[in-house]
Amino acid sequence: MSGKAQSVVKKQGLAPWQISLLSVTSGLFVWQMISDYVIANPLFLASPLQVVKALMRLIETGELWKHVYTSGIEFFAGYAIAAVIGICVGLLIATSAFAKHWLQPWISGFYATPTVALGPLFILWLGIGVWSKIVIVFLLVVFAVIINTEAGIRSTSERYLEMMRAFGATPRQLFFKVSLPSATPFILAGLKLGIGRGLIGVVVAELFGSRLGLGRLIGASADSFNMPELFAAVSILAASGIAMNSAFAWLEARLVPWTKD
Amino acid sequence: MSKLVSSGLSKWFGDLQALADVNLTVEDGEFVALVGPSGCGKTTFLRTVAGLEAADEGAVYLADKKIEGPGRDRGFVFQQDSLLPWRTVMENTVVGLELAGRLDATETARVRKLLELVGLAGFENYHPRQLSGGMRQRVNLARALAIDPKVLLMDEPFSALDAQTREIMQTELQRIWEEGRKTVLFVTHQIDEAVFLADRVLVFARRPGRLLEDIRIDLPRPRNMATKRRPEFVALVDRIWRLIENDVRESVLVEKI
Repeated sequence: MSGKAQSVVKKQGLAPWQISLLSVTSGLFVWQMISDYVIANPLFLASPLQVVKALMRLIETGELWKHVYTSGIEFFAGYAIAAVIGICVGLLIATSAFAKHWLQPWISGFYATPTVALGPLFILWLGIGVWSKIVIVFLLVVFAVIINTEAGIRSTSERYLEMMRAFGATPRQLFFKVSLPSATPFILAGLKLGIGRGLIGVVVAELFGSRLGLGRLIGASADSFNMPELFAAVSILAASGIAMNSAFAWLEARLVPWTKD
Repeated sequence: MSKLVSSGLSKWFGDLQALADVNLTVEDGEFVALVGPSGCGKTTFLRTVAGLEAADEGAVYLADKKIEGPGRDRGFVFQQDSLLPWRTVMENTVVGLELAGRLDATETARVRKLLELVGLAGFENYHPRQLSGGMRQRVNLARALAIDPKVLLMDEPFSALDAQTREIMQTELQRIWEEGRKTVLFVTHQIDEAVFLADRVLVFARRPGRLLEDIRIDLPRPRNMATKRRPEFVALVDRIWRLIENDVRESVLVEKI
């Protein structure tokens, strides 16, 4: 089946990555054409070339690095804490009925709430520095991780559990040798989901109030109608999102190869 | 001696009596096949021996010890192989020893020999997804043998395989069994499979699930494809089929409704 599908692509004469590259290149080309001839006003739209120029300028002045560094710290600190706590809480509510019923209303409530909207509150409480952003990133990521971890443990195949029971496994052995490994793909999926949510958290939180960061750069560029700089900051965010997702795809292929087919 | 005795065994699922007063004895080293229509309780009986189901009345004794739950004196071979996808063939095969905390260099060497015996030499580091159905069932069997159980419990282990692979696996199982002569309880839907493999065929009936007849198979060993064409073989298969024919027809009707 897959052999057949591959031969169809081959007949078109393009490898999958070539198709993707062609798509991105023609997209950029169309964007360049539109900003050159249709909306030829840099106050409304920056062309890809203008964006690249702005990016170079930001790199040369060293300004970009300060923003990336600040946003990076906010993202990774919030994300790391959310990953650790999210996995632990997820495992806890999957294994303890009391913990599940105690925490479930809060988890459901917070997961459904657009917590970014609480941004101004956290800035009021924790100040304009990185801590308010770390908390917002944490809140956006942690519930996705909790929910996926719990779903992973709960979806453990009854067949595997029964097999291990027949071989005399204790509840502890069932958890560590069956439930946990079989939940790993779900945990990774939750962490992957958290990347996008965390990046949104950083940007929106910085827009609410900050001195440094890519969100701050976006806000400042928008205020001064500097579209090339705004797009430059957005491209950095997009690139880091793509890079982190690729890293996760690599990690998944190494850690949970059995889910691939 | 590791004689297996079922004494007055009964089991209900709600209002449905799955097993009614099953009394039987399996001698040490005997290969016993259980056949019967769907819902005759043969699998329930096997699971009770495994300790995965509890008896409502009566009990099963293995080597004079009452069976109260799962234990490593019984090795279970599952219908669906239930191999852990994140473990290699070797890691899957040693799982029972690992759970018992008995995994050491000596045992690993023994399991390696065992994998050779079931025809998986060279596949120790493969993952289940890289194996064919027949090979996965070999791992399933090796995993049960690895704990060196007193009794091997096999729940329709070849039912998911295609016809040719199944024929091969039947002769393979016979060959492996000849090596160690463990006591085997083998549940199957296929009468010819039961007659081919077993020293005794226990025929079960349904509603309630009960032991109908205990038939000795005296065909000489080793048996091969030619055995299946011998008149005695055909006569035995025919006799068992006539015993359960009505039940099977009924069960098929019930399933269709």
